[in-house]
Amino acid sequence: MATEKTDVVIVGVGAAGGILAAELGKAGMKVIGLERGPRLTTADFSPHDELRYFQRQELRPNVKRQPVTWRPNARERANLLPILNYGNQAGGGTVHYGTLSWRFHEDDFRPRSQTMERYGASAIPEDSSLVDWPLTYADLEPYYDRAEYELGVSGKAGNVQGRKIDGGNLFEAPRRREYPLPPLLADQSGILFEAGARKLGYHPFSSPRAILSQPYQQRPGCSYCGFCQSFGCHIGAKSSILVTKLPEADATGNFKLLTGTMSYRVNSDSSGRVTGVSYYGPDGSDNTIEAELVILSPFIYDNTRLLLLSKTTNFPNGLANSSGQVGRHLMAHIGPRVFAAFDDRFVNIYMGPSAQKHSLDDFNADNFDHSGLAFIRGAQISVTPADLEAGPIGTAMSMNPPPGIPRWGAAYRDFLAKYFARHAALVAQTENLPYADQTIDLDPNVRDQWGLPAPRLTYNWRRPNELARVEFLFKKLEELGRAMGATHVWRAPLGPGSPGAHHEGGTRMGSDPKTSVVNRYGQSWDVPNLFVIGSSTYPSMSGFNPTLTIQALAYMSADAIVTRYKNNPGPLI
Amino acid sequence: MTKHDAARRAFLVRAAVGAGAVAGAGLVPDAYTQNRERQKEANAPTPAHHANGDEHGAFLNHDDAATIAAFAERIMPGAPGKPGAQDAGVLNYIDLALSGAYADLQDFYRRGLAQLDAYCRKTYNEPFLRLGAVQQDEVITALDEGKATEFTWPTAQGFFDTVRTHTMEGMFADPLYGGNKDFAGWRLVGFPGAQAIFTPTDLQSRQAFTRAPIIGLQPLAKGPSAERA
Repeated sequence: MATEKTDVVIVGVGAAGGILAAELGKAGMKVIGLERGPRLTTADFSPHDELRYFQRQELRPNVKRQPVTWRPNARERANLLPILNYGNQAGGGTVHYGTLSWRFHEDDFRPRSQTMERYGASAIPEDSSLVDWPLTYADLEPYYDRAEYELGVSGKAGNVQGRKIDGGNLFEAPRRREYPLPPLLADQSGILFEAGARKLGYHPFSSPRAILSQPYQQRPGCSYCGFCQSFGCHIGAKSSILVTKLPEADATGNFKLLTGTMSYRVNSDSSGRVTGVSYYGPDGSDNTIEAELVILSPFIYDNTRLLLLSKTTNFPNGLANSSGQVGRHLMAHIGPRVFAAFDDRFVNIYMGPSAQKHSLDDFNADNFDHSGLAFIRGAQISVTPADLEAGPIGTAMSMNPPPGIPRWGAAYRDFLAKYFARHAALVAQTENLPYADQTIDLDPNVRDQWGLPAPRLTYNWRRPNELARVEFLFKKLEELGRAMGATHVWRAPLGPGSPGAHHEGGTRMGSDPKTSVVNRYGQSWDVPNLFVIGSSTYPSMSGFNPTLTIQALAYMSADAIVTRYKNNPGPLI
Repeated sequence: MTKHDAARRAFLVRAAVGAGAVAGAGLVPDAYTQNRERQKEANAPTPAHHANGDEHGAFLNHDDAATIAAFAERIMPGAPGKPGAQDAGVLNYIDLALSGAYADLQDFYRRGLAQLDAYCRKTYNEPFLRLGAVQQDEVITALDEGKATEFTWPTAQGFFDTVRTHTMEGMFADPLYGGNKDFAGWRLVGFPGAQAIFTPTDLQSRQAFTRAPIIGLQPLAKGPSAERA
């Protein structure tokens, strides 16, 4: 058993942990990062292999060794989730993500107030725990700006200091300046989407991406190979933490990364402070890091799991859980999809950055009037390959044929042969509301390869507000597919009630220690030298992909730690 | 066929397993005859390529291999100009996967195949292999719809879904993994493989992509142009 001392230990070196490692290291703090997976390099991602990285999910946790279970409600036994979408290596999900880099809207930070002001309190479902955030868009704007410029995000501004700019997202919150890089080139699917959406009077634009459209910071511009979602970038044009913040952290001389390590407990003393983290090494050894400051930034499951596993007599309900809120308000995006197939042209959607290529924001957040509708909040709508990823395995697995054609046999073969290169999918990424009974806890029956209880999700998105929103969006997607000129337009079936992509919640931030786990800086109300940083702190989720907001929050927390906490350790609020 | 694959197959053929024996297995399910077939194969010159791609030997026995090959061919049937499961070597892919990456599914396949056999014998008095295409399709429909009896674990739908998934992988995974022979699956759907770059002209084209040959994982594994077969 080895014991090591340091200033700061970070569990999980991904979207948030990588930024904190670099920024705290630059400020002279000695940082050790604990990472469950390996540290890969750009050279590992060439050539691209759909079976290995998409279908067999090599950049993601192995569901058999690192199981996560799900049940729709507390009365049922939980079963293993068949697929896990988060990252399992240094750089976390930013290595294989689709790179969508959104700033949340102003009303995404105050969804409860916005809804009450416009529609009255009765519009909020009674069982929803929808709340405002303890910070505003304006508070986070400088850190969004910093993330975009330091990491490298390509896009077109639609609102610079209140001035609306056609071609960008007219619904975005005001930004201080343009993106550092122009938008990526549109492919055929983007061109079709742009024309179809404009025909309907909507406001389409090229999605903001953490992919370089031009050389930037000694990295090359995108080659449009199409292997983004599920894949590492073979030229380093994806602005993943692997090629942005980790080299910065290395350069400080104050950062050490320990890969292949599984953190299993945050240690605390009788005074109520945390003293460090215990972890299993790659050789099975049992080790401890002693640290002045502990930062948790793994995927959201492991924040809740680690806090619950770290209970002591001082913290009988789990560490940092005097509020009883740890593990609650789990949220995830659901993606109703419609397929559009073209008889008169090829689309070749496997070209150009995969995932959500071109988007419109007209039906997101409270950007449209919900009066008379049976739901609040909305969804971001985009054109994408069948399964975000664009290869033929992913297409065969997730593009259901239109009604009347089975999913096997000669007719299916002919369908796939004709439409693989002639299809586009339209997807709505929904802002599902938080509900207190959607939870993460410890599975009493299933253990992982280290013998730790698996995270258990209790979650069912099929609630009246969410179902009404999905049906509304399906109709919008079908309308868009027809406006794009598709010969055939049909729906994908909805999945079971299990959580989809982009999980949020479990350690919600707030203004009141009684009803939240951490403050706006991710600092535990109960334990001031413990921070939790990532989308687990989101009080609500927005229809946008979460990563840029995770990164902005990480910059904000790093700033607060360096300028205030470092010299005067204690509560920041 | 890739170098890796060819070397591996040469070994397997020397180990007295070959295409001829597989094709015969379902029709002449007599152990003695099979042994004679195998003996003949063992003495035959080692082929570098197999014409029909229905190879096995890493995991599946002859009967099971023949059943999987026939099942996969119904899921993705071949036709002139439209390569199917056999053309792509889907059996070869599944057999290799079950001996390696999917070794934990070996018993899933064993039991699924035994249940399939029981269902077919009960319903048609014949094993799956001896059924005509129409009846084989009836069986697969019954599995897909969860209506086939005799299945406990795996369930009928679970077995169908898995074989379908692995058939698609064998059609469309890189040939390195033993299927998608000569890029048959990629040619079928018009996928140019792991292209490292697409130009602005490529992105704006409304036509099929034909500028460059299909690119696979192996440096020399470049096939005909990406134009559909």
